[in-house]
Amino acid sequence: MKYFRIMLMLILLVTTFTACKKYPIDEDDLLITTRKECYVSNFELLGSDYVTVRTKTAEIDTVAQTIAVEVKYGTDLKNLYPQFSLAQDCKLDPKITGWTDFSNLANPKKYTVISGDRTIRKEYTINITVKPL
Amino acid sequence: MKKIILLSILGYCFAMVGCQKEEYGLPVLKDALQNDALKRKFGPNIAGQYIDFAYAIAIPATKGKIVSAQVEASIPGGSQTYFDPKSYYTNTGGVDVGVEVAGASVNNGNITSINLTKDTNAVTFRYYYQVPEAAKGQEVSFTFSAKSSNGETVSYKLGPYAISRMDMVRTLPVSDNNLMFISIADMKVYNAVQAAANPEKIDLVYSYKNISGASFNHALVAPSASEYLTGITLPQGVNNDSKLIRVFGLQDRDLSQLQYALYVDDVDLVQKDFSTAPNFALDMKVDYGLWIETADKKYRAYVYINSVNNSGKSAVVSMKRIAMN
Repeated sequence: MKYFRIMLMLILLVTTFTACKKYPIDEDDLLITTRKECYVSNFELLGSDYVTVRTKTAEIDTVAQTIAVEVKYGTDLKNLYPQFSLAQDCKLDPKITGWTDFSNLANPKKYTVISGDRTIRKEYTINITVKPL
Repeated sequence: MKKIILLSILGYCFAMVGCQKEEYGLPVLKDALQNDALKRKFGPNIAGQYIDFAYAIAIPATKGKIVSAQVEASIPGGSQTYFDPKSYYTNTGGVDVGVEVAGASVNNGNITSINLTKDTNAVTFRYYYQVPEAAKGQEVSFTFSAKSSNGETVSYKLGPYAISRMDMVRTLPVSDNNLMFISIADMKVYNAVQAAANPEKIDLVYSYKNISGASFNHALVAPSASEYLTGITLPQGVNNDSKLIRVFGLQDRDLSQLQYALYVDDVDLVQKDFSTAPNFALDMKVDYGLWIETADKKYRAYVYINSVNNSGKSAVVSMKRIAMN
């Protein structure tokens, strides 16, 4: 019986320490990894009906850090929902929290991609053009 | 160790007790007149529309037969409120089959009654309560009751049910260059001459344009959205700046003629945020919808596109509307 108790204690001890091994996390409770990749791989823009407003695939320039999107004539630019696909473990700043106003075309919105190891930051500019009639 | 053995025995005892099989017994027939009722209508209860119920009554054959049934509503129903004189059962194919067992129902104030014309021991009636205008925004309750030939009576209460503040119109045809002026206030569609008579009531303009490379097609825009009304001469005074939100996938069951299972309810219209809404909606297609707030903020509505006809440059729309004041 005594031997059984000791074994049980040992197993608990090992399990506890294994489970509690600490990985670094950031202020958003996201894991900080060793990855240094930092780019946008895909970009989508949805209208109030949750259907894309793009006329063609967004052009992402990872060197110039720009995203060029042409949207349909008649798009409500004040209520768009942007969606980013990022390199693994990256995060976006500011976060997408809902409908976003892209109507100020002269002053395009900027989003920063932050790498998995949180050491690299790249600011992307979203350049929107409305397809003319 | 002793504790473990004790716990095991205890657990075993509980398991045995829990698994004890109860013998099935046939339900005992109640030796009296009985009744049951349920509401069959889902979704908001809108004025002019029906709330339908199933009312089941039964009595053992040895005791007598069913003589009459009635429903007392807390608010008198509309003139089209009625009891279907048929008793319904569902056949093996899943189809409801009606057998006529009573005469026409009679409305007297808030009571709708029906007398059976055939000797019957069990019926399931359908009761249709036409929601009256007077009930808007209130609650209505129902008391179903029945009488048998041996003098017994039974009753069953249902409700209260909230009555919507919304109004509804269905299948309004709109067409380019003709019936293109939509009034949310009147819930009607006007041509230019009619619109000129009530310019302040025009909240939407329908138009169709097939422009190569642009998704314009069937458009619903506020009279103030001049950029999207090129080539259209608005009647004098038609200039309301309505707010619109284009929607896809909100196929309201009432507006889509019972095709889908979603409902736009009062709360959806009341809580909608129009603060950043534009004044135009282009490329409207079948099953698309439009939230709208009138320029004076007096009304909000959901306009649903039932059908579109590109060659005919026309569409059919339906709407639910609520008064905000």
